[in-house]
Amino acid sequence: MRLFEVEALTVGITGSPFPILREVSFYVEPGEVLALVGESGSGKTMTALAAMGLLPFGIEMTGGDVRLEGDSLVRTGGTVERSAAQMSMIFQHPTSALNPTMRVGHQVGRVIQINQRLGRTQSLEAAVELLKHVGIPGAKRVARNFPHQLSGGMCQRVMIAMAVACQPRLLIADEPTTALDVTVQAQIFDLIKSLVSEIGCGVLFITHDLGAVAEMADRVAVMYGGQVMEESPVRDLLAKPRHPYTRYLLESVVREVDHRVEDIGVDFALTGCRFGHRCPYVHEKCNGFPPLVEISPSRRVSCFLRTEELR
Amino acid sequence: MTLLECRNIHKTYGHGVATVPAVRGVDMQLERGETLGLVGESGCGKTTLGRVIVGLNAPTSGKVVFDGEDVSGRLHEPEFRRRVQMVFQHPQSSLNPRFRVSTTLREPAILLTSMRNEELGQQIEQTLRLVGLGIEYQTKKPKQLSGGQLQRVAIARALMSSPDLIVLDEPTSSLDQSIRSRIIALLKDIQERRQVSYLFISHDLSTVRKIAHRVAVMYLGRIVEVSETEALFNDPQHPYTQALLSAVPSIDPGDRSERIILRGETPSPTALPVGCSFQDRCELVHARCGVEAPLLQETGPARHVECFAVQ
Ligand SMILES: Nc1ncnc2c1ncn2[C@@H]1O[C@H](COP(=O)(O)OP(=O)(O)OP(=O)(O)O)[C@@H](O)[C@H]1O
Ligand SMILES: Nc1ncnc2c1ncn2[C@@H]1O[C@H](COP(=O)(O)OP(=O)(O)OP(=O)(O)O)[C@@H](O)[C@H]1O
Ligand code: SF4
Ligand code: SF4
Ligand SMILES: [Mg+2]
Ligand SMILES: [Mg+2]
Repeated sequence: MRLFEVEALTVGITGSPFPILREVSFYVEPGEVLALVGESGSGKTMTALAAMGLLPFGIEMTGGDVRLEGDSLVRTGGTVERSAAQMSMIFQHPTSALNPTMRVGHQVGRVIQINQRLGRTQSLEAAVELLKHVGIPGAKRVARNFPHQLSGGMCQRVMIAMAVACQPRLLIADEPTTALDVTVQAQIFDLIKSLVSEIGCGVLFITHDLGAVAEMADRVAVMYGGQVMEESPVRDLLAKPRHPYTRYLLESVVREVDHRVEDIGVDFALTGCRFGHRCPYVHEKCNGFPPLVEISPSRRVSCFLRTEELR
Repeated sequence: MTLLECRNIHKTYGHGVATVPAVRGVDMQLERGETLGLVGESGCGKTTLGRVIVGLNAPTSGKVVFDGEDVSGRLHEPEFRRRVQMVFQHPQSSLNPRFRVSTTLREPAILLTSMRNEELGQQIEQTLRLVGLGIEYQTKKPKQLSGGQLQRVAIARALMSSPDLIVLDEPTSSLDQSIRSRIIALLKDIQERRQVSYLFISHDLSTVRKIAHRVAVMYLGRIVEVSETEALFNDPQHPYTQALLSAVPSIDPGDRSERIILRGETPSPTALPVGCSFQDRCELVHARCGVEAPLLQETGPARHVECFAVQ
């Protein structure tokens, strides 16, 4: 059974006919890391928030399903219900996700107290241990600090500690290491990997760093304009990108793209393929919505080009 | 011509037993039209140094000299604030959540420059376009923007008052490769036209390499190596710089072999060892390092390193 599955998830501004996320589908197997990549504004965070049942006011889920271990988490009215032991998330904005009035040791401790059913002092000790584990020097002292007394990367690690403390079935990590230097980043990646191997959870790993994808992920889903364009094992994707957008994305890493091209985001009112305005292969068919189609047993691509053309 | 000079800056947080020496004696210069990259481990004091430079934090001791004048306590002078801007590490907590993007951009320009209304409107549209956001973003509030979109609004805001110095604290951490290249090109272009100087704080070494003329490496509150960019990347001299440069993740699996894994952990800033603060993790440590703290010394043209083994 798949650990986690998102199917045809559609999300938009309440009352607007144009969805931001359009039929987003992907899955995560137990013990697997799925990377979600795509340019700024492509809908990665929105996808994660929808799956967590944390969409902001004014944004709603209008279709699709979110399943964990086979059970749908979507309740009537399009709300998602889950517990922290089922799914927990490392948020993209650490400062806004931490409680500014509470010492960070207590914040982590409380999560441990609830999820691992330990006593208060024991939880606090476990919290300090965990803060050490995410590489915070002087963890005991830092545990008594408030978030504003921490550096950007320290806040991020506190949040990682909180998410990990839940020992969830699915961990969602939204750009978890953007505020960390590469040496600490490597340490955090190891921590996430060891969580995966210890408790067999799955990870949805959101990033724009393809180096990190190559290092961390088993499979990858590529998003553009609120649509999943391609889903594939990492190695195959890096070696042979199929979707026109994936090709563009990989090229932008190896060679300098032309910045003079006016590229002002995606028009969410488009009914056709949202990559159409930049796609070198755009044709009449692209005015319709390209479904995610299996082109080989482990790969799915959303594009009207014929399978041979995608090869 | 030197625009900015830091003379023996110290910044200590807290009182009594809980003091954290975040910056411990930093000397540094920045020329007009120059970009200095500032890299180093999370929590090593980069943001603190940046805040001291723009006047948001007073140094515990030492002097910041801007354009020939001691600027401590100048923060309330509009002309100083116009000339020195900062892009904060976490845009979502530094932008006013109630302001629309247009208001956010208009505010510094109105307060700090003599721009007239219609000129201002044009300037806002143009600046937004330059950072890759269409004019439709003018009416959005921070909550309605993705992480990378917010980051670009913050950069646009700093550009509005035509400053002479911008401290950019992790300005591209939430941006994908193509937007990042575009922002780098934009910053370079503005620098060429207006001779603005940048202090560019970042964990992203490849971006630093593209934009900085010189790079300073910080470890536990001190600059341990400063050098011209290419010299630093081709021949890192301080043992910490060597470890840092070796840890960058890459898409190419062949690249991953020579990583230097640092042993031990970073000492807490409240419990620094006597002598070199890197000694517990250093491969080259010898007797002298435990007794005496090394100082920055010239080891080549435009190059300073703080390590006994190199000097
Ligand atoms: N509350 C909101 N109201 C309206 N539009 C929104 C809201 N939140 C996000 N958006 C829009 O939805 C799109 C997707 O945003 P999302 O935050 O998911 O992007 P992302 O892929 O995480 O990007 P980044 O890499 O920059 O964080 C963006 O274009 C954004 O402007
Ligand atoms: N307001 C404060 N009160 C107490 N300590 C603080 C405060 N701000 C920062 N510190 C401490 O000072 C040290 C340096 O923090 P700073 O934010 O300058 O680091 P940084 O190099 O920017 O790190 P990062 O890369 O994680 O953003 C850290 O140990 C931090 O806990
Ligand atoms: S569906 Fe059409 S526009 Fe979209 S990626 Fe494929 S060829 Fe390009
Ligand atoms: S001074 Fe000694 S301990 Fe410090 S970096 Fe140099 S060799 Fe290593
Ligand atoms: Mg995001
Ligand atoms: Mg910082």
